[in-house]
Amino acid sequence: MLLNLVIVQIFNGLVLGMIYVLLAMGLSIVWGMMNIINFSHGLFFAIGAYLAYTIFSVTKNFFMGLILIPIGTALIGILLERTLLRRLYGLNILYQILMTFGIALMGRELIIILYGPIGKSFVPPDILSGTISLGALFFPTYRIFLLFVSILLTIGVWLFIEKTKYGSIIRAGTEDSEMVSALGINISRVFTLIFGLAMAIAGFGGGLAAPIRGVEPMMGEAILGICFAVVIIGGMGSFLGAIIGGVIVGLSQSMVALIMPSASIIVIFLVMALILLIKPRGLLGIRD
Amino acid sequence: MKWDQWKTIFQKNLSLIFILCIFLILPFVLPYTALATEILIFALATIAFDLLLGYTGIMIFCQASFFGTGAYITGLLIHHYQPNIFLCMGAAILGAAILALCFGYMSTQRAGTYGVLLTLAFNELIFFIAYQWKTLTGGSDGLRDIPRPNLEIPGLLNVNLFSETRFYFFALFFFVFSFILIKKITESPFGKVLQGIRENETRTMAIGFNTRLFKVVAFIIGGIFMGLAGNLYAMFMNFVDINHVAFDTSGKIVMMELIGGMGTLFGPILGAGIVTLASDIACAYWERWLLILGAVFVAFVLFARGGVWGLIESVRGRLKFSRPKKA
Repeated sequence: MLLNLVIVQIFNGLVLGMIYVLLAMGLSIVWGMMNIINFSHGLFFAIGAYLAYTIFSVTKNFFMGLILIPIGTALIGILLERTLLRRLYGLNILYQILMTFGIALMGRELIIILYGPIGKSFVPPDILSGTISLGALFFPTYRIFLLFVSILLTIGVWLFIEKTKYGSIIRAGTEDSEMVSALGINISRVFTLIFGLAMAIAGFGGGLAAPIRGVEPMMGEAILGICFAVVIIGGMGSFLGAIIGGVIVGLSQSMVALIMPSASIIVIFLVMALILLIKPRGLLGIRD
Repeated sequence: MKWDQWKTIFQKNLSLIFILCIFLILPFVLPYTALATEILIFALATIAFDLLLGYTGIMIFCQASFFGTGAYITGLLIHHYQPNIFLCMGAAILGAAILALCFGYMSTQRAGTYGVLLTLAFNELIFFIAYQWKTLTGGSDGLRDIPRPNLEIPGLLNVNLFSETRFYFFALFFFVFSFILIKKITESPFGKVLQGIRENETRTMAIGFNTRLFKVVAFIIGGIFMGLAGNLYAMFMNFVDINHVAFDTSGKIVMMELIGGMGTLFGPILGAGIVTLASDIACAYWERWLLILGAVFVAFVLFARGGVWGLIESVRGRLKFSRPKKA
């Protein structure tokens, strides 16, 4: 019986971890390439979730939401990068951090104005509700779907970064963006694309997570700190690190929830501090 | 002392005297005294942060942990033991300083933006501990029933601070004391090294300074004064809210710092005043006024990175420049 419980919690931890992975990937790419710590990353997670809620309540079609959300959040991200962040390139990094912080605050307030301060519950679509049984174990269908989709997306992003021409520009830009621009590549367009891509993934993650955790205005802020911890654990600027970090955080959170539910979030930051003491660069950190 | 000597002292400390005058009349100008106290306490927290961001160039997001730790230690001590007011203060400062030492040590391990991420994560850690440890901190309900202790110096003085005006002047004493101390620190050789780190850390290291040590000490000093601010705030409010350790409080201090003008010590005071007053007025009209504050903040980041103080300075500079010279 205890073993069953542990297996179910490992499964839940993986589901949770994959949501973190989706967010940490974008955070890590944007940080590595543009050297921006994006405080509005959590906001885009929340926007994705609210978009999913809105599209689902209007059209009753969950999958249409999943297609539209990344397009929507990518467009918002590109708009913000073009109009606001762009003006601060070349200045102290501090101002870009402060800008994203201001955007996050405004976005949260805007969400409260539009949807009210109280969260809303969100039921997964009929096709994905119910459970799938494996022997004596029952797994919710939606969570299996989430795990499947997020793993596919992660592999997709990984292939994009490792195997395509654009991916090699991104990887080169993480090493030295000045050199990339000296080679005749329009780095400013690459920045816009990167930011849009990261926001698309973050929004998609929000849309996927919405049926599990519901939607509420503070969800972006709540997950931002955890994602920072994931990126620190994995090592900043490392794509694989973001994946490993996300899974470690998800698993440790769900395992501790078995023993002591109230400590399940605290343990994330304790794990982070512990790993930092042993490996100051994080597990796979490539640069300072 | 001769008149001339008095005059030089006066001229040297003109800005300090100016601030003192403003704060002396502030409680009588504002609609209620508590508003002035709030400005005072947040001004203290913001100038402490200014030492870190404005003078050393370290961006942190764990102001709330220092502030909140000071507040919770004060609250818990008074709630359970009712000790002497100075003992509370000392304990709050010590707690915040130890926390600042830990956070400073960890987040200065590597250079660059890394510390920003880390301090936010640490802030979340402290927040969730305060949130979950309900038996100690009261969780999301906060810590209630914290009567304001008397100002008691054994054998000398025993005054109650129940009146808001009395508490204001009590806080003002510590504010002015801290302000002078922080100003002295920024003008000292130690402060010059901090400014060297802000301008170019590699060069400062090359001259032979252990920059990491200096940064950790800057953390501790910042933590001490933010802890003191938290201590005063807990006694002022008579309860500790979970919000005091939350990211929102850190963000508020960051906004006060930037809107006021960083690296000036006067700017942050101005920023604390502006943000506190504006929120007090705007709250009554629109609950979601933070949207406007956010927009104002973004506008400052885009167009006026020197803050309000920077704007004043540039206007003053222009006036000086355009003044016609006597023939």
